[in-house]
Amino acid sequence: MRKGTYLSPYVTGTILGLSLLASFYAAGRGFGASGPFSLVAGVGTNAVAPDYAGSLKYFSRYLDLPHPLLDWGLFLLIGVFLGGLAGALSSRNFRLMFDKSASMSVRTRVFTAFGGGMLIGFAARLARGCTSGVALTGGSQLALAGWVFVIAMFASGFLFATLFRRYWS
Amino acid sequence: MTAPFEMSDAASLWLALLFGIFFGLSLERSGLGDPHKLTGVFYFQDFTVPKVMLTAIVVASTGIYLLSDLHLMDLGRVYIIPTFFWPQLVGGLVFGVGFVVSGYCPGTAVTGFASGRLDALVTMAGVSAGSLLFAVLYPMLEGFYLTSDMGVVTVPGLLGVNHWVVIVALITMAGGMFYFLGRWEKRTGR
Repeated sequence: MRKGTYLSPYVTGTILGLSLLASFYAAGRGFGASGPFSLVAGVGTNAVAPDYAGSLKYFSRYLDLPHPLLDWGLFLLIGVFLGGLAGALSSRNFRLMFDKSASMSVRTRVFTAFGGGMLIGFAARLARGCTSGVALTGGSQLALAGWVFVIAMFASGFLFATLFRRYWS
Repeated sequence: MTAPFEMSDAASLWLALLFGIFFGLSLERSGLGDPHKLTGVFYFQDFTVPKVMLTAIVVASTGIYLLSDLHLMDLGRVYIIPTFFWPQLVGGLVFGVGFVVSGYCPGTAVTGFASGRLDALVTMAGVSAGSLLFAVLYPMLEGFYLTSDMGVVTVPGLLGVNHWVVIVALITMAGGMFYFLGRWEKRTGR
């Protein structure tokens, strides 16, 4: 594990909660992070194979819009990148690397990173959001959806973590 | 005029960028761009994820319902995620596996990439690929995707109690958890 000079999770959690509250207050919506990946997948497929993208019913929610990329979630995520970059640079925490356990090869890491990402992307579409849009945002609204998702996610995480122990310990 | 406010598309996108910066800063400064810290909770090694998430949820939920009760914010115009019980339960189960395998979730993958982690960029590509897979399989999945539609339902609404009962229970639960995690960390030296 990289030695980082991180802040107290209670401090950062409070800042995150206040930012989320400000977003509800000003814009009437919370934070989501998985939607933009689906949006980019739809717009990307449309750029390469417009006929095929047009035949996919699920993507019509993006492709029927006049300017699909002028999207709240996508701009939020660009902000997440900028904020993350600012945080990492200012704390000298930025380093180009493949983050993995010592015993794992880069090739295996690419495989687990991509495969896990696919499961996440697929599951987030099914659940209508991810750790941000359903768990964090829905959880703070006391929405049932948020709590169903977060309990299921942690239960399955704990269960499968034993299988993947050698990867992360 | 009560919050949330009507605004132009351009203003809302600038606001999204600004909130995103705070979101990314809080994640990175917590160490949540690091897949070891992100998965640490599942191995009882690092409790940053539940600490940050629960703190944020307690702060935001207290704020939302306080502003709403004081008529400073119209909760009726805030988008609240609807509940589709089974798809969200199954989605959560599959998501948990992906989280442990990749070491990231979508937002933290962006934070990880922003701190120089190339594996996080690979996960971002995977999330897009998984979304495409969902869109391709959607005709087969649509029935399940639309099942158990409960509409907008909250935990206090479901239990038939005042929202403060749930929030106080949540604060008590979070406080108790933080206390015992602190003791556990002290004892194990983590």
